[in-house]
Amino acid sequence: MDPGALQTYLPTIVRYALVAIGLGVIMFVAYRLQIRFGARREAAAGRTLVLPWVIGFLVFTVFPVGASLYLSFTEYNLVRAPTWVGLDNYADLFSLNVSPLQSVDQRSADVIPPGFKEVQRVNIGNGGMVFSAKEADFWRAMRLTLPYAFLSVPVGMFAALGVAMLLNQKVKFLGFWRVLYYMPAILPAVASALLWRWIFSPDSGLLNTILAPLYRLFGWETPRWFTDPNLALPAFIILSLWGAFGANSVVLLAGLKGIPKELYEAAEIDGAGEWAKFRNVTIPMLSPALFYNLVISVIAALQVFEVAAFIPTSATIGTFVNWQIYLEAFSLRNMGLASAEGWILLVVILMLTGLVFRSSSAWVFYQGAREEAA
Amino acid sequence: MASTVSTEQWSSNQPLPTSRGWHIRQFMIYGLLILGGLIVIIPFIWMISTSLKSQDQLFTNTIDLIPNPAMPQNYVDLWARLGTIAPGMTFLRIVGNTLFMTLLAMFGEIFSASLVAYGFSRFNWRGRDTVFAIMLATVMIPSIITRIPGFLIWKQLGLLNTYDPLTWPSLFAWGPIYVFLMRQFFLTIPREIEEAAIIDGASVVQVYWHIMLPLIRPIMLAIAVLSFQGNWNNFQGPLLYLTTPQMFPLALAVQFFQNSVSKTAPLWQYMMAMSVMMSVPVLVIYFLAQKQFLDGINIGGVKG
Repeated sequence: MDPGALQTYLPTIVRYALVAIGLGVIMFVAYRLQIRFGARREAAAGRTLVLPWVIGFLVFTVFPVGASLYLSFTEYNLVRAPTWVGLDNYADLFSLNVSPLQSVDQRSADVIPPGFKEVQRVNIGNGGMVFSAKEADFWRAMRLTLPYAFLSVPVGMFAALGVAMLLNQKVKFLGFWRVLYYMPAILPAVASALLWRWIFSPDSGLLNTILAPLYRLFGWETPRWFTDPNLALPAFIILSLWGAFGANSVVLLAGLKGIPKELYEAAEIDGAGEWAKFRNVTIPMLSPALFYNLVISVIAALQVFEVAAFIPTSATIGTFVNWQIYLEAFSLRNMGLASAEGWILLVVILMLTGLVFRSSSAWVFYQGAREEAA
Repeated sequence: MASTVSTEQWSSNQPLPTSRGWHIRQFMIYGLLILGGLIVIIPFIWMISTSLKSQDQLFTNTIDLIPNPAMPQNYVDLWARLGTIAPGMTFLRIVGNTLFMTLLAMFGEIFSASLVAYGFSRFNWRGRDTVFAIMLATVMIPSIITRIPGFLIWKQLGLLNTYDPLTWPSLFAWGPIYVFLMRQFFLTIPREIEEAAIIDGASVVQVYWHIMLPLIRPIMLAIAVLSFQGNWNNFQGPLLYLTTPQMFPLALAVQFFQNSVSKTAPLWQYMMAMSVMMSVPVLVIYFLAQKQFLDGINIGGVKG
């Protein structure tokens, strides 16, 4: 092996081993102490076993999250010590402005207040308005990321449900189909981002080569997907659908297989047709799996990273929030502002998952819970 | 199972296997499945096909799925190219880096997740379910929020540009999803199995090692696949912590290569060759363990 490689591996291996041994010692001591202070053997063992997670949670989650909250109230560029600026970062981020346009021909720059940059222009009739912000890059990223999540997640779920229902029709070679449909989810995000950048490439990309004759028929230019403000979002959604619908359908299929046949029989005896069975048996019984999928997908969609890192868009389209925060922190070295942006993202995720949870009581059916109530 | 008879009755309501309706239905089901399969598979074929083309073969107006002539030397040339940009970025070194990181993190993840899940599922202690709920809730915290202070901590420790931030923190069960899947599996194991051993005086460690570990092998394999895939594909972590090109894993080497070629004329044949190289190991492991893997991940979806 390359001696240079060993030099970089060995110290890590040593520290890895030391941490593992240290963790073992801590667990042993913690267990003994609990027994000493009269804990039940079972409880002491249980608590000791989850100790690695608890330590990791405090050191690698609670502390950094707290530290980033502190940093979000400071200005910090890694060189000088953080300086406290109070709510300035948030005030800058929430400096948003809507300016009306007198006519369609008016330039956006003429109506935007100084220090603000255009986020989105909306033409309505012979007028319209311009949304602008001090931190326009962040809001452009939000403008791309939120619609992306709102569209790609439900469309992906419907596609996945459709495929799962197909696979549940006693098809032959089920194992083969499952393996096939799950494959895109296994592919490294880096590889799939590059692959789709190439497929959507305006010059000689697979998609445009296929579409070219069609476009020539209408005398149009072939589309420049990721750099066209109208097509970037649909292109990103297609990319995400390819990556996720198959994997989700495999998970939903397991849910479908778990639905007792008796429920369908009972529905048939009551004279239910295909749609009524789907509506009153399949959906309620599958709702916990759908719910789990929905929560995980929303959280993932708001944190797209590799796709943004590998697929350049145009400045007016912006990029995804997670990548935008990364750039703010590690390219521009605005650690304080980036932390504030991170906290806004966290709040958005909490609100959206909270919304899904709140709505769940209306549509998620937990068999166990219902039986207990009865 | 009492449902064997009734299953027959249920399916008898559908068109008989000889009727015309049945044939149309079968035709539509398989037609749709094949269509979906093509959507899944064509990009893969396109990736492999591009990786075997010459520069002139890329920019044509026709769709050539089979390159003529095929250029397998792309896979060698690209490393020569990388070597001229950053000496020492050899194929062996980069793959070695990726494997090194992946295996250490994977071992830590599987081992710690199994211990923690064991503690969450087989023992009664006050506050257990609350702690478990908190653990699941951490899924909602965007990774970037902990990365910024995390970066500063590793900087303080002088461990930036080492593999440390990417490896040993895995010993602290950093993946809540793995603990969750593992716990769901533990819950399916009947309690009597370990009770007999405990009555015989076996310690917790003995029960875990001799009884639990063999039983949870299927879910461990599923998590091994997930974990291998997750670490092998990891991009955000290495991007933050590693700066020496010779220490890069594949994901970063790909980005390094992309940044080194012109934006207007990316060398797609090389980029796709790198993507193929990065994908093959994960796909092979996935194919080898597909049964256990697909059954394993489903345990989470079914029970909610």
